[in-house]
Amino acid sequence: MEKAFSIKNLDLYYGENQALKNINLDIMRYEVTAFIGPSGCGKSTLLRCLNRMNDLIPNVKINGEIHFDEMEVVNNKIDVVDLRTRVGMVFQKPNPFPMSIYENIVYGLRCQGIKNKQTLDKVCEQSLKRAALWDEVKDRLKDSAYALSGGQQQRLCIARAIAMEPEVILMDEPTSALDPIATAKIEELIQDLKKDYTIIIVTHSMQQAARISDKTAFFLMGEVIEFDQTGQLFHIPKDKRTEDYITGRFG
Amino acid sequence: MTTTLIKSSKEKKRFKRIQDQFTKSMFLLSAMISSLMILVIILFIAQRGLTPFMPDYKYGTQDLFKFLFGMVWRQDQAIYGVGFIVINTLISGFAALILAFPIAVLTALFSVKIAPKKVGTLLETTIEILASIPSVVYGVFAVGSIVPMIQTIAQGFGIQTAGGSSMLAVILLLAIMILPTITSISITAIKAVDEDLEKASLALGATTTQTNFKIVLSAAKSGIFAGAILGLGRAFGEATAVSMVAGNKMFGPTLDFFDITRTMTSTMLAGLKETIGLDYDIRFSVGLVLMVVILVSNLSINLLKQRIGKQHA
Repeated sequence: MEKAFSIKNLDLYYGENQALKNINLDIMRYEVTAFIGPSGCGKSTLLRCLNRMNDLIPNVKINGEIHFDEMEVVNNKIDVVDLRTRVGMVFQKPNPFPMSIYENIVYGLRCQGIKNKQTLDKVCEQSLKRAALWDEVKDRLKDSAYALSGGQQQRLCIARAIAMEPEVILMDEPTSALDPIATAKIEELIQDLKKDYTIIIVTHSMQQAARISDKTAFFLMGEVIEFDQTGQLFHIPKDKRTEDYITGRFG
Repeated sequence: MTTTLIKSSKEKKRFKRIQDQFTKSMFLLSAMISSLMILVIILFIAQRGLTPFMPDYKYGTQDLFKFLFGMVWRQDQAIYGVGFIVINTLISGFAALILAFPIAVLTALFSVKIAPKKVGTLLETTIEILASIPSVVYGVFAVGSIVPMIQTIAQGFGIQTAGGSSMLAVILLLAIMILPTITSISITAIKAVDEDLEKASLALGATTTQTNFKIVLSAAKSGIFAGAILGLGRAFGEATAVSMVAGNKMFGPTLDFFDITRTMTSTMLAGLKETIGLDYDIRFSVGLVLMVVILVSNLSINLLKQRIGKQHA
């Protein structure tokens, strides 16, 4: 199977504080990879390295390599806009723009200079269908995205990411602000999306990681303690610390 | 032991309830005082301003229609027509807004989102100081610099001006005066935009510039328009500084930027202390018209805001 990301010897510092320590991970295409671990373990930090969202935080220093196809992501010379159109992201809190549902979906395309109405209409419909939201919103595409429920807003954000036809979708605790029913819908969607996309998901819920991911990486204090097939990691953890965490002895 | 505990907690509860009631009434009282003040002012102005049109007015009843639509204002002949003055006020106020608004919004965007933190803070402090400078100081500045500059420029075009006092001077002065107001409020509005929206935009491959213009400004739209409304209010309401450069033309409306003009506020202010009778009372009528003009302008800006909002949301 083909690698999506290959992370080598990655160290990351927030000022003096080392947040990631010597990370080595290979993330495969068309799989769901879950990052789990207690708060502050660096899982979200690593996720944000993959589409360079860490650029927004001052005083971040990164050493090491992240390969994404021919791109070396850590390198400052790469085109960040190009990277981000190929590596989409869904955030913890649903964050639709203060615009109509339609405009939310086509926002990314518009920013790429695509103006053709037919193309935009087509992409809007396809993306909403792909995110299992089309039937709920097809009659009110011109309505404000704020009129949707939290779960619908999050699926809108997924549709918005899909509209860019990315190769990878990063999800930073995408269901932590949602109720169980909305969460179930998103999880189902993730299962369906992995046919076409590589998905990397940070989650606080170990059950969620166990339910939806193919591989799981367990983070602790900025290190990857264990990275394995999800079934393997949850049933026969190799490391004592992984076992302690997944059995609920800490975290 | 238990009973005393329960008793004391009951007393505590009662105290808390009274405290809560008291705080609530204090809020209500403050709200009532401020709204009462507005009401009293409006009633007072309305009462004084409407008397010249009453049948039993002691200095000779005025014709309301002639007052509202008249194009001549001559105290010496007791002709009072406010029509052209309203038009002058609208032109100079909106022209100042059109000049100041884009500069203010871009300045706000720059200081919050683009400038390095230190520069942004410095800029903000400067703008706040500018906003708090008394209007008479702006007036003196305008008389000393804008007015002579306009005279020189006009002479360059071969246009004769009243020593530089002109509608253009009023517009430039007002634009400078309302710039800090609009900027300062826009800064607050832009700062309040949820960072998550910007992150979402950047993560979709939008550039920082696209994010600033498409997301930040549209999310801050409400606040920015509030700034525009306050700015326009200040432009319409500014009296002292405007009076110093307007020239107070006696007829109109003024459509030539180099010609002198007369605004409602300059009309109200000019010679207020040296006059009595109808000439005094009629200024309240002008004030009443000014309040209506400001109200209508605010409503129309609000409509404009909703229109722009509909395109996006």
